Amino acid sequence: MKFLSIFKLTIPVMMGYIPLGMAFGLLLSKMMIPWYYAFFMSTFIFAGSGQFLALTLFASQATILEIGIATFLLNLRHTFYGLSMISSFKDFSWKKNYLIFGLTDETFALLKTSNIEEKDREKVYLIITALNQSYWIIGSVVGAILGNILPFNYKGIEFSLTALFVVLSIELYKKSKLHKPFLIAVVIGIVGMLGFPSDKMLILSLSLAAAVLILFRKNLEDAR
Amino acid sequence: MQDSYLIAGIAVATIATMLTRFTPFVFFAKRKPSPLIKYIEWNMPLMIMVILVFYALKDVKWEEYPFGLAEIIGVAIAVAVHIKWGNALLSIIISTITYMFLIQKIFI
Repeated sequence: MKFLSIFKLTIPVMMGYIPLGMAFGLLLSKMMIPWYYAFFMSTFIFAGSGQFLALTLFASQATILEIGIATFLLNLRHTFYGLSMISSFKDFSWKKNYLIFGLTDETFALLKTSNIEEKDREKVYLIITALNQSYWIIGSVVGAILGNILPFNYKGIEFSLTALFVVLSIELYKKSKLHKPFLIAVVIGIVGMLGFPSDKMLILSLSLAAAVLILFRKNLEDAR
Repeated sequence: MQDSYLIAGIAVATIATMLTRFTPFVFFAKRKPSPLIKYIEWNMPLMIMVILVFYALKDVKWEEYPFGLAEIIGVAIAVAVHIKWGNALLSIIISTITYMFLIQKIFI
């Protein structure tokens, strides 16, 4: 498979990652964090909503433990992606570790939906993942640097994070078989937002949600 | 913000993210996941995402002018645009621009 046709496959991801990466970089620079942290975060963490969440947590001076738990819970969905890629990556060399590292929502979607000849597969998968990550890094670094130079009033740009969560909620709602967990999460979210101490809101609400989900599994599954 | 805090935070977020991606390859490569794990993986992400919406809104001052109106309008636009066109990027950009306009020009 030629590089150009692989590149074409990744164009939709590029159109998403560059602006979203820039929004991330702008937000980071607005928080007075130096631009090279955008590069480090996009290189090492490489998780869109995870990085936005990290910025939110940095801003509220969350503890390191909270950052770890919240990021883990937020990205837990990747475990599911991994589960459905085990057989695809089975015969690959050690390089598959990079594929696993870079298994974002969008990369997963591309790899799952693309139709690639078996002999080419490992190489093509690696190129797709690397291209996607490079878009993300470029977007976030450009956003972080421009954020410091452009005389642009971006007060309120952090709303892009709220909007991202709203959009992903809708997407997940459309895909989910059970709809009660959604209503339960809305109730927990409102209670948490208004009632829980601001700095513990995320951990408390997420733990409560997980507990309800597990304890009432029978009721929730029967009620579909 | 202190460099040591940022570096530690980034390191922990990196490890936490890698854990979520590598775990299935380490533990479930041979056996099938239990029904409980599947159930959690199917349903937890939606709950997390919904709670994150409210988490992102937790510092809104509902009892002061403009009573969170900018946030409510912004979320409503994100929902409406996304249901209409189903393009994540478009929904995020339009609702964010509206929100920025509202808090910079209207609800001052």
